Amino acid sequence: MKGWLVARPDNMSGDNRADGPRRSQQAPLLVAPGDDLGDSGEFDAGHGVLVMDGRLRALKQGRMNNRDGTVSIEPRRTAYVPRPSDLVIGYIEGCTSNIWFIDIGAPFNAILPMSLGPSKAEFGGIRKVLDIGDAILCRVQEVEENHSSVVTMKGMGLRAIRSGSVEEIDPHLLGRLIGRGGNNLRQLKEETECRVIAGDNGRVWIDGDLGGIIEARNKLNDLLEKAKVAEYGGVA
Amino acid sequence: MAIPLVPKLLRAHLAELAAEDMRHDGRGRFESRDVELEIDCLTRADGSARVRMGDTIVFAGVKFQIMKPYPDRPNQGGLMCSAEVRPVAGRQWEPGPPSPQSIELGRVVDRGIRESGCINTEDLCIIPGEKAWQVILDLFAVSDDGNLFDAFALAAIAALKSATVPAERFEAGEDMPLEVSKTPIMCSYHKVGGRFVYDADRREELGGDERIHITLGDDDHVHSLQKGLKGIFTAAEFAEIMNEARSRCAELRDLVDKAIEGE
Amino acid sequence: MGGYGDVQCIDENGIRLDGRKIDEVRPMSIEVGVVPVADGSARMTWGLNDVIAAVYGPMEAHPRKIQRQDRAVLDVRYNMAPFSTTDRIRPGFNRRSREISKVTAEALESVVLTELYPRSKIRVEIEIICAEAGTRCAGITAASVALAHAGIPMTDLVVSVASGKVHDIVVCDLNKEEDNYGEADLPMGILPNSGELVFLQMDGDLSPDQFQEAWDYNMEAAKVVHKHMVEALKRGEA
Repeated sequence: MKGWLVARPDNMSGDNRADGPRRSQQAPLLVAPGDDLGDSGEFDAGHGVLVMDGRLRALKQGRMNNRDGTVSIEPRRTAYVPRPSDLVIGYIEGCTSNIWFIDIGAPFNAILPMSLGPSKAEFGGIRKVLDIGDAILCRVQEVEENHSSVVTMKGMGLRAIRSGSVEEIDPHLLGRLIGRGGNNLRQLKEETECRVIAGDNGRVWIDGDLGGIIEARNKLNDLLEKAKVAEYGGVA
Repeated sequence: MAIPLVPKLLRAHLAELAAEDMRHDGRGRFESRDVELEIDCLTRADGSARVRMGDTIVFAGVKFQIMKPYPDRPNQGGLMCSAEVRPVAGRQWEPGPPSPQSIELGRVVDRGIRESGCINTEDLCIIPGEKAWQVILDLFAVSDDGNLFDAFALAAIAALKSATVPAERFEAGEDMPLEVSKTPIMCSYHKVGGRFVYDADRREELGGDERIHITLGDDDHVHSLQKGLKGIFTAAEFAEIMNEARSRCAELRDLVDKAIEGE
Repeated sequence: MGGYGDVQCIDENGIRLDGRKIDEVRPMSIEVGVVPVADGSARMTWGLNDVIAAVYGPMEAHPRKIQRQDRAVLDVRYNMAPFSTTDRIRPGFNRRSREISKVTAEALESVVLTELYPRSKIRVEIEIICAEAGTRCAGITAASVALAHAGIPMTDLVVSVASGKVHDIVVCDLNKEEDNYGEADLPMGILPNSGELVFLQMDGDLSPDQFQEAWDYNMEAAKVVHKHMVEALKRGEA
């Protein structure tokens, strides 16, 4: 499962991996859109940074990071933009006789053709298998500029979600949730005895007994609070 | 308003919680979110209030205009209540003409105020047959995280009770406080996961069923009731929430009185 | 526009009705996160102006006819609340609001990287809660902070301010009386890091020298406003 790339830089150069709690040596440098961040000859542009006239310019508000020669910004919020092979949690919004329309929390909906859905589906009767309002765990198959992305349920572990609860967090916080080497996520699962699956679109499925789900949700909220504090250097 | 997709998972989860007497944010069944009430917050209005319930935030503004009394009611002024939920309040509030939801909101809150008789339209008369005051109450939602009904109703009565008739500006005498003879308060109960709860937030409204709005005046007099959305409830369920409404309305009435006294 | 004669907007010492000197900006404050359910939001008080801006998106562009294949559209709504002015404003369609919505969208589209989200829309909701001259400027400014708060990528913030002329004297950041009784109004939308413009309107009568003076006042005032904007963003959520 490719769950560890976070704060995806839309279509800008560079990658920004958040591998867990960050230890900064000094107060975080907070930047706003329009701020000049240095010479583009010296550093590469990562998430939230654009090269303009030989300079690096901040496109977002947040904390600036300079890691391995790439300057990037950890923003307060990122819009989820789907990439092929992303694991996502979606909701069925509608359907025709052989296509489901899926809300994946992106700027536009995705489609799930009958051929890529659960095998039991029949032409004209696909609602019997996946109805409007159902939740699914699926993978992004194809993304193209001129039409909706296509998702598939053919693959290991992909299925309809029939129990538990789905929480939403900002995609750029997924790294913190999962932790270095998956440690945080593993710990969360053990402590709450719940199944926890984090979709790349920031939706997190928690399944188990009610007490466990509530505990997991609380721990998730704590994590988000801590992330907010860390980003703004302790000033809430 | 765009009718939002109701995830089945949400409904199932809320039902599971309800069976254990729990709510998804940890509140008790009849427990409210934190309430903030501020009056005199709109410089250009003659009376105003801002209410925050959890993350639901609304404004109420009172303005006065001079009207000609209707021929069949020459001694009476008027009260007009207008509610707007503009797209600023939430993703689900799409731009366009007023939706049935926002119209119902306005009318239910209006009835609660009007039917209580807290404003006597005869008091609003200036010159019989010629001039009278029209009280215009504008309700404005800024953030919708559920229970706009109660937030609007609370802001409305607080704004009215702290309003000043701007007689001097209209050369109709001296400024004086608007006469409001009682304090109607609305409490709304939403059926979530099979049972009624108080002060539903947006998630509970999304995954819930019918709702009941109860407006009580001083001494627990019932001034208006409204059942909204699809669903069936029993007399016993109603009696239970009516009981809850009595104590909660009293608490909110106290809140309004304290805010007005503090001015 | 056009003098009413009797209102003295500047006294013999060069002090304006609100106590300012001719080159001073009105007091202001900016706060983010004021609409908790929105993706980004900001509130700005500027003189007696009180403006709230909220951003939702990017999201699927509905209705279909506003969708563009190559980029996101900014769906901007500027609106004045009924109780925002001394005389109540009847809710409903308003030509002035429609025009301001359009020029605001065009100003903001000049800096937002819309190509990153083709076929989608970004909703920008500007609500004037209390009005006192320069509402369109406060609206653009608050909207730009709200967009940044929502994490929408932009090449710069947009700062908007209006200077003008009253009693034949050029003044910075018009207040209500100066806007009503003065002889010129020059609102501009400025990109603070380059001094470039994305918004420009003008009404009235300015000589070439006076025009330059008003222009310069706006540029100077923009620096003051920009500081408030950046500080508000860095303070984080309310």
